[in-house]
Amino acid sequence: MAGLLQNKPLLCDDIPWINALRQKGRMAFEAQGVPTAKTEYWQYTKPRDLNADDFVMQNSEDYEFLSVDEAHDCHCGKGEHECHCHHGEHECHCGNGEHECHCHASHEEGINLAERVLPFEAYYLYFANGMFIPMYPALPAGVEIKPLAEAIFDGEAKEYLGKLVDIEKHPFAALNTAYGEEGLFLRLQNGVKLDKPIVIWNHSEVEDENVFYNLRNLIVLEKGAKAEIFEYFDYKGKEKSRYFANCVNEVFLAAEASLHHYKLQDEAFKANHVALTVVRAKREAKYQNFCFQHGANIGRNEVVVQLAEEQAMADVSAAYKMAGWATLDFTTDIEHMAANTFSDQLVKGVIDGDARGVFQGKIKIHPDCVGSEGHQLHKAILLSDTAEADVKPELKIYADDVKCSHGAATGELDENQLFYMQSRGIDADEARRILVEAFLDDVLLKIENEDIRAYFKSKV
Amino acid sequence: MTKTPLLEIEDLHAKVGDKEIIKGFNLTIYEGEIHAVMGPNGAGKSTLSNVICGKPGYEVTAGSIRFKGKNLLALAPEERAREGIFLCMQYPVEIPGVPTATFLKHAVNAQRKHQNLPELDTMAFVKLMREEAKKLGIDNEMLKRPVNVGFSGGEKKRFETLQMSILKPQLAILDEADSGLDIDALKVVADGVNALGDGKRSLLVITHYQRLLNYIVPDFVHVFADGHIVKSGDKNLALELEEKGYAEFVKEK
Repeated sequence: MAGLLQNKPLLCDDIPWINALRQKGRMAFEAQGVPTAKTEYWQYTKPRDLNADDFVMQNSEDYEFLSVDEAHDCHCGKGEHECHCHHGEHECHCGNGEHECHCHASHEEGINLAERVLPFEAYYLYFANGMFIPMYPALPAGVEIKPLAEAIFDGEAKEYLGKLVDIEKHPFAALNTAYGEEGLFLRLQNGVKLDKPIVIWNHSEVEDENVFYNLRNLIVLEKGAKAEIFEYFDYKGKEKSRYFANCVNEVFLAAEASLHHYKLQDEAFKANHVALTVVRAKREAKYQNFCFQHGANIGRNEVVVQLAEEQAMADVSAAYKMAGWATLDFTTDIEHMAANTFSDQLVKGVIDGDARGVFQGKIKIHPDCVGSEGHQLHKAILLSDTAEADVKPELKIYADDVKCSHGAATGELDENQLFYMQSRGIDADEARRILVEAFLDDVLLKIENEDIRAYFKSKV
Repeated sequence: MTKTPLLEIEDLHAKVGDKEIIKGFNLTIYEGEIHAVMGPNGAGKSTLSNVICGKPGYEVTAGSIRFKGKNLLALAPEERAREGIFLCMQYPVEIPGVPTATFLKHAVNAQRKHQNLPELDTMAFVKLMREEAKKLGIDNEMLKRPVNVGFSGGEKKRFETLQMSILKPQLAILDEADSGLDIDALKVVADGVNALGDGKRSLLVITHYQRLLNYIVPDFVHVFADGHIVKSGDKNLALELEEKGYAEFVKEK
């Protein structure tokens, strides 16, 4: 039984730089605490449940790579220090062909991963309650994926971890940094263009304990690299289970790199989910984010994009749909830090029951960033009298010769449209469903990959 | 001759907000009959059609409406539609984001489900839709657009007519079906409506002008003023109204 700051053994804690970074995170969280209504950018979303004192954290298992001296008789041909497939005898999905495996694998945890695929071709990576399941898809040359702890161990993470996130302003990112051991390090080398999306499947399965876990992903696209990453959060288990997933992504886009970043949050209705993604986009880099939230007690997704060099562009769009007592929060902070940078945001929400939708959208155009364009539009539909939408657009423009726009509209379903459909024999509920789908149609069109769009549509 | 009454409206009173619009309206329509209700602006014509179809915002304070013997006022709008009532609207509603074909398919299958018929799959539905559209000279391109979005006034009415020909209602209510139509479009609508006639389907034509009645010839014409019927007659009454106007019926007000 403990609060959010616990003393648990952490992987690689004997490495000075990571230990120092974790300490900094710890102190920054201690200084800020769980946000209250007075905390900047937390005035609408109140994470009261996170003041609980019954959080349970698991200790990460030692990965095999952490003891390099251990005998390694895998015959996948990748060499001792590169192979990290912990596969079981009959459960190898690493695509490296038949070989002897030594995995203490996933089926022992009662999760049948073979069935865990989404309706589109992808490279799949799995986490269960925030713990990486060491199974690797066969990736094309130039694509590197490994557990964060391994990248900490071999030092590669040092250049990236904590470099984009401002932990003094993001309490939960500070908390995430205090642990900083589970997650992925993902890198695409110069010019590598992935043929299929990468799915990071974060599965939660909780009984009675109030499970708390942290995930930290480092995503690095080198010059001209191109990828699609799909983060999927799902849940199985008791309906009323509580847990807290605290996620941070740091995304580094070199010149001309392009990342389509999708996220589907489909979780337990008592779940608390807080996520921060910080992106740094260099010259002509392109970041396209689409997030669909519909589970969770509190679901907060914050996307910060630094358009750091000319012609960098970001499209940060989202849809949310919820009922019950949920609070779903989509918060953005788009920083135009160079001339001729572009951003667009379209966020649409459907709110029913006693639920609350929050959109805080910030566009900041720094001095001298002429020729930049930043657009933002939020629209919400309230399906009940007790549903609420809180919208805070914020434009800070310190340069001349820029184009900026923002808009926000909150309304109900159109009575005339509803009646028109009913008068043709369509059930009122069915008519509402069709209208909601139509309302969300244009935001779904932001998704370029048709298979992924169809999948999101089926979830809407 | 034993005809079944299809629609029976008795001493209907209805109000919008605090204002009483329908004041003691009586009308009985039998199978296969065409009735025209004509009246000046503000007589409550649109209120009448909306009340029959169950549009929210209208309160029935007295009287009854029965359809095939059933108490219509107890039914939701979609149930009334599935029972066989179709309202051809004066101003068809635009629904951005909903493809016309999707909308129609939902409507057709809702009705088929009600009739205990198997639902049509996409192939069968598209075939049906195209056949009916062809008869009315409706371009397939139009059916790919969202419901009524970007349709001209004439196209909207054609689409209403198409819905009617596919849903084959027992009672079609034409609410100012001719408003905003040129003569060619008017003929398309009238032809579509007339094609429905198989001796069992009935029509309630609500109109200000006599023009439409040249193409859809009524069996009965009723003059509707100040919330109720003030005079009934045959098709000649419509011609009379065309000549003399409604002055005679509204002056008492």
